[in-house]
Amino acid sequence: MLAELGLVLIAGLKFGSIYALAALGLVVVHKATKTVNFAHGAFAMLGAFATFLIVVHWQWRYWTAYLVIPLLIGAVAALLEFVVLRPLRRADLFTVVVATIFLGIALAEAFRLTYNTELLAVPGLFAGQPFFVGGIFITREALWVITGTLATALACIVVFRHGKIGRGMRAMASNVTGAQLCGYSIDRVYMLAWFLGGALAGLAGVFIAPIAGVSVELSIAIITAGFVAGVIGGFDSLTGAILGGLLLGVAESLAAAYVSSAMKNCISFLLLFIVLMWRPQGLFPERTGRRV
Amino acid sequence: MSEKGFRAATSAPAIFVLVCIGAGSVLGSYPQYALAMSLVAMVIGVALIVLVGLARCISLASGSIMAIGAYTSTLLMVHFDVQYAVSIALAMVAGAAAGWLIALPGTRFRGHNLAMVTLVFQSVCIILLREAKTITGGAEGIHVPAVGIFGWRIDTDGDFLLVIGLVSALIILCLTVLIRGPFGKNLQAVASNEVAAEAYGIGIPDYLAAAFVISSIAIALAGALAAPRIRILDPDSFGVLSSIFMLAYPIVGGMHSVWGGILGGGGLRSLPEVLRPVADYQELFFASLVILVVMFFPGGLVELVRRTSALVVRGRGQRDRKSAAAAYPPDVMIFAAPHAQSSEPLLCVEGVDKHFGALHAVDAASLEVPIGGIHGLIGPNGAGKTSLFNIISGFLAADAGKIAFAGDSLLKLRPRDRIRFGITRTFQHVAVFGQLSCLDNVVIGLGRNQVLNSMRESLDRFLSGRRTAVMRRQALAALAAVGLADDADLTAATLSLGNQRLLEIARAMVSEPKLILLDEPASGISEQEGEHLLKLLLRINSERNIAMLVIEHNIPFIAKLCRTMSVMGAGRIVAQGRPADVISLPVVRRLYFGEEIEHALQR
Repeated sequence: MLAELGLVLIAGLKFGSIYALAALGLVVVHKATKTVNFAHGAFAMLGAFATFLIVVHWQWRYWTAYLVIPLLIGAVAALLEFVVLRPLRRADLFTVVVATIFLGIALAEAFRLTYNTELLAVPGLFAGQPFFVGGIFITREALWVITGTLATALACIVVFRHGKIGRGMRAMASNVTGAQLCGYSIDRVYMLAWFLGGALAGLAGVFIAPIAGVSVELSIAIITAGFVAGVIGGFDSLTGAILGGLLLGVAESLAAAYVSSAMKNCISFLLLFIVLMWRPQGLFPERTGRRV
Repeated sequence: MSEKGFRAATSAPAIFVLVCIGAGSVLGSYPQYALAMSLVAMVIGVALIVLVGLARCISLASGSIMAIGAYTSTLLMVHFDVQYAVSIALAMVAGAAAGWLIALPGTRFRGHNLAMVTLVFQSVCIILLREAKTITGGAEGIHVPAVGIFGWRIDTDGDFLLVIGLVSALIILCLTVLIRGPFGKNLQAVASNEVAAEAYGIGIPDYLAAAFVISSIAIALAGALAAPRIRILDPDSFGVLSSIFMLAYPIVGGMHSVWGGILGGGGLRSLPEVLRPVADYQELFFASLVILVVMFFPGGLVELVRRTSALVVRGRGQRDRKSAAAAYPPDVMIFAAPHAQSSEPLLCVEGVDKHFGALHAVDAASLEVPIGGIHGLIGPNGAGKTSLFNIISGFLAADAGKIAFAGDSLLKLRPRDRIRFGITRTFQHVAVFGQLSCLDNVVIGLGRNQVLNSMRESLDRFLSGRRTAVMRRQALAALAAVGLADDADLTAATLSLGNQRLLEIARAMVSEPKLILLDEPASGISEQEGEHLLKLLLRINSERNIAMLVIEHNIPFIAKLCRTMSVMGAGRIVAQGRPADVISLPVVRRLYFGEEIEHALQR
């Protein structure tokens, strides 16, 4: 009974930490540019696809995927920002959101056309015996996914809080004109934000590839999970995104185990609905207390 | 445009659909099928003009709404033996209910949050359809039975084209009447400036909910019409992707006109028939097309057609087009004799308090505006003037205090209700409805903008146009009064800042209010325009007996304009009286120039 609950929780945390990574990328872009990138899920899908290419197709070593793909997808994201979003700098939110929605579709379709299969399987990273801690089995994979994603996420937060990059993005988000007057280039900051967001999405893709395989559906699954996690956490809070992702993963896992698989799909929407209606600032909003 | 011309232009899309049926009758069976499905897509396109084009709501739920229509109609026929015609009507009811359900949370969100809320609805619907296997047939789908109307069995593609075409023409006519009438104009006003819309009695949640409900009715109808042609309904053919491609209809076609929905829906739906050899690349092509349109051609196909035809018939249009001023000669305004300023108070603000956290923005402020009087409100930046204004016009709730207007308390009224009491306002940052013409801006200022009212007036405009003519004449008179009669047909966004301020004043005075609140009317305009504005305001005040409460930084301007004034500093009213007396008070000088300069001046 308790062991089963433990298994369910570990599975939830495993998915949840990937959602957290996806949400983190979404929030980083939103923090800097004030828009939600609906193509984010497609970036994660491209990351998973690139994992397939590297691990299965070209048979490179697995660790190269973790190294190369974030850089690659980050570069793709930055390029698309330059080509598609930069000309829309003066357009309103509606236009930008529409552009990213269709950008995501175009990327997903491009993938579907190059590899016209339902699902590409990617082998797992570890095959060894699971650990046995306090009556609960933890597979090596789950341990790696959870620690790996959370370590990346924490590193990201540190960079964003203390690095020069983070300062520029926060400045941009709170006042575009003011930040520009202080010498931050809007083009550079936006591009950097998309690079970081893309890199995080790509990394989420690498982590999820062996668990869920690569398919077109991955694109929409990741964007909804990431968005819901972001909303739960409070869309401007990096730690909130991580906590929101973990919460969502655990909730989905519990619903699937104890209610039904249909409920697993509904739970994220229920959470989104509840949070948006009753606590639109999120459960873990960033403290922006003003000292008066 | 004359009333006859308006009626013709409004009927044109529906007539176009009828022409399509006529042309289709000579075609073969497959083209008839394709044409019928394109007509269904046109209905969806026009429905999304209301929601996406005018209200600028991103909806990703269209697929599920279409599914609701198709499934409602089919399930009623399968399980309850309901007549096809009746099942279509009930499908529209189900569509309305679904639209209202989305609007419940939907009207609270904009932009990406709204897109996500609609995506939630979409996904939950599809999951429910898939899980309720015993009723809907689950993922394998359900067979749509043969249909007929009043004993006539609808069988061939030609029959379907006729039925689908006639119903489509009817619903497109209804939608066009709404889109081109005051309802559509008010929706655009909401999309272009929510605060100003609210101030002129446009209830934003009501309008957005109406947009969701109306477009959902039409999309559900489209689903019910298409169901017998789809033959086997399964949840996945109404999935997220279908919603996203429907979103493309108004964007590719052109967002602001009915023809955008017709061209976008018809064009994108029939494109796959043309692109059959490269069918695989269809979705990629669609998505790229939308991105290109958004980036380089925001006006869509409609704009493309307009520009091409303008090139062809250059110069001719100029002569043919009659300006609004010519079509509706303005009423000659007859004003009562100038009123002497009464001493009876019209607006009475007493002890109003407002805190923002630790900041005491308004501190026990009291002032009075007499009937027909002009009262000025000055004070340094951050003194709480605009906060007090927002409390009087209802955009902020006061923590304490009383506001009486002609004897009634104002505190409980929403901003949009205050216009009916005779209070209108202008804004510190000009808030005209940029996409609408100047004339339409001023017509909105007449008030009477409740949803049902504007729908009724849309219908009136199409049927007789009598009420519209009256309203337009009033609006033109107001435009003429501020000197903008010649610009009546121009889009408001193209005016200069000074003229936009005049337009705001025309919009504020057209309903003949008892009180206008003017927030920095002279800021950002030239000295010459300022002189003109001063004379204009004084004339409006004396000829129409409209009282004014004016915030202004331009001291000479306000000193000439108002008869009494209040000075605010740090939330408190520090002085009140006649302009000349108030300005020379030491306390006022200190507020503006600071303590030390004051000493220097005295020395």
